[in-house]
Amino acid sequence: MPRSPNAPAVFESLHPSVPAAFLLGTLGVSMLAVQPVYLVFSLAGGLFCSLLCRGARETLWALRWQLPLLLLLCLLNPLFSASGSTLLFRLAGRGVYLESLAFGACMGALLLSTLLWLGCADVLLGPDAFLDLSGRGLPVVALMASMTLRLVPQLMGRAREVEATLDACSAAGEARGTGGLRGRAARLNGVLLSWSLEDSLERAAAMRARGWGARERRSSYRPHPLRPSDAPGLALVVALLLLNALLAWVAAGQWRFYPSMPTLLPWWGYVPWALQLLLPSLLVLRDRLIWWRLP
Amino acid sequence: MTMPAALQAQDLSFAYATPGGGAAPVLDAVSLEVPQGAFALLVGGTGSGKTTLLRLAKPEVSPVGDRGGDLCVFGEPVEELAADPLCSASRVGFVFQSPQSQIVCDSVWREMAFGLENLGLGQVEMRRRVAETCYFLGMEPWFRSRTTELSGGQAQILSLASVLVMRPRLLLLDEPTSMLDPVAEKGFLALLRRVNQELGVTVLLATHRPGPLLDFADMALELKDGRVHELALGELRSREGLRVQASMPARREEAGKAALELSDVWFRRTRDSEWVLRGLDLSLGEGECRAVVGGNGCGKSTLLALAAGVLRPQRGRLRRPLAGSQALLPQDPKVLLSAQSVSEELMEWSAAGSYGWGDVQNIMNELGICQGLAKLHPYDLSGGQQQLVALAKLLLARPRLLLLDEPSKGLDQGAWHAMVRMLLSAREEGATILLATHDMDLVRVLADSVTLLFDGQAGPSERTGDFFEGSWLWR
Repeated sequence: MPRSPNAPAVFESLHPSVPAAFLLGTLGVSMLAVQPVYLVFSLAGGLFCSLLCRGARETLWALRWQLPLLLLLCLLNPLFSASGSTLLFRLAGRGVYLESLAFGACMGALLLSTLLWLGCADVLLGPDAFLDLSGRGLPVVALMASMTLRLVPQLMGRAREVEATLDACSAAGEARGTGGLRGRAARLNGVLLSWSLEDSLERAAAMRARGWGARERRSSYRPHPLRPSDAPGLALVVALLLLNALLAWVAAGQWRFYPSMPTLLPWWGYVPWALQLLLPSLLVLRDRLIWWRLP
Repeated sequence: MTMPAALQAQDLSFAYATPGGGAAPVLDAVSLEVPQGAFALLVGGTGSGKTTLLRLAKPEVSPVGDRGGDLCVFGEPVEELAADPLCSASRVGFVFQSPQSQIVCDSVWREMAFGLENLGLGQVEMRRRVAETCYFLGMEPWFRSRTTELSGGQAQILSLASVLVMRPRLLLLDEPTSMLDPVAEKGFLALLRRVNQELGVTVLLATHRPGPLLDFADMALELKDGRVHELALGELRSREGLRVQASMPARREEAGKAALELSDVWFRRTRDSEWVLRGLDLSLGEGECRAVVGGNGCGKSTLLALAAGVLRPQRGRLRRPLAGSQALLPQDPKVLLSAQSVSEELMEWSAAGSYGWGDVQNIMNELGICQGLAKLHPYDLSGGQQQLVALAKLLLARPRLLLLDEPSKGLDQGAWHAMVRMLLSAREEGATILLATHDMDLVRVLADSVTLLFDGQAGPSERTGDFFEGSWLWR
């Protein structure tokens, strides 16, 4: 299945459960462990992965609104919560404290890293992952999702075509604008509604003709079965996740913003977190190296 | 012991259920027999009951109404099929008319698996059937595509494949190629022929345009006035031959001043996609009828959209002096249909086009749309009739520039001639016409000049006679 044009094909060789477990875990730890080192690592890892997988252009294009958001959060928090012990300066009679500025910055980093990882999710998982993963347990839900994925673009395409054709028929003159924009929208809705209803009759017949409802339970075709070679990857991801969840719990437990922040010290516990965040990037780099060395 | 027929009807009659009851029967004492392994055509005019007959043989899609007589599939009455959906699904396959409305899922492989999942088959068996069907139909290159990205021809091949994957022994097809252009139609029919000959699947295909099928059909059944009789293939062939003998109009020699001019036009859909048009030059004189021909995906529809001002070129210049009085007939007439009845439909633009009910009646007579149809919802018409109504709607507004995208697609003979008559009279009245089509008969009778579009560029435009004279393909 085609992904975004810059997406490395390497993730397609994994069962979708591997990147799905990775993403769920990474997002979960990033969002729950509000501790500067964890957040900075997550932010850097997300940025690196996004640059590698989605390309510089797409990443920078997204940062154009994400960075101002980070800055805004960072600056807004001190205005609303005037707590902390290190007074930086006074603004309109309110104290601006280092601690509340740091808390704002951490919240901004949390949001930005979440956005970055979600941006990578499309590349890591591919559009079919949800359907693949839900297909086995919930075949009917997977089918409904699949139908939605088909019908929504079809409807949008038809809407564009109806509008464009109406624009093209200038001989129909002012008739196009009867009732102005609202009249036009009503006409478009009418056309799309009757078209979709008509279609749905034939689609329902086509579904029945292909045995829809013939069995109590549908089976589910899986083009990507979980293969033995996926097991080590899945095991590694899950093991790292559990370890990091534990370490993050310890680290976040020792951290506080108010009234004053403790000093950060080097700690071996950050290493597994960095390793986990680098996993997808390492996979992409290994793939590039293989292709670079090929004659 | 003799082999039972694939489909056999004895005194079959059917009338649709109506609230008052007592509707006229659509089928009346129909008897027919399609032997196993045959490639049979079911011909008949629009509304003659072809669809009803086909659907009666497939209990899941049978219409509701009053049925009498016997209908057997491989020697078993259809009632038994109805009681056993698993058996029915794997014995009789049904392919519908519109490729886009019978596809259920978002991706090709999921669509292929849909029927098999309904039957609850296991992984190994599903994989094998999907693989074999794709191999047979040559679908590998687009097996991982999205269904919305498919061309019309590919979509209809997918519809066929998703039925074949269930391994039916009898395949019923209801006008399967009426929404396809001639090139896609040929491809589809060639595959269907192989399905019949190599896999031994019995085929019964309903069509109002048997021409392209005559070379490999074994038998033809005609449905007329509720009864079926067998028709010699030779007779069908002689009926088909009449089409091109329409009167040839006098060609315009001198083109007037320019009505549409595209110079050095470059166009692509997105920044990353390939150029669709690469420096296209085209100019059209006022009152001229120009046919643009070329393969699928050569940019004919794009050219029309540019000429209509719906799309803008990335480079190049467009002059559209008639921009204020133009009309575009899209490939799918449903795009233009918005009213609750045919008469309202045709009256929609009456204020702007300054025409009245009298003009509408005239044009309906010309088209051979009987007054009885005027009250119907446009969706109750056949595809060909919808096409005519859409064209009539445009012509009523008297556009000075007519842009037509594949206007003769799916028309039966009567409708084809009606359409040609309408377009000829529009041309007589001075309308400039730009026509994108695969239909060379239409080009012959209508166009003053022809442009061959290839690789995003327009070849030199030639007078129609010269074009066919110099052509190797369409001489």
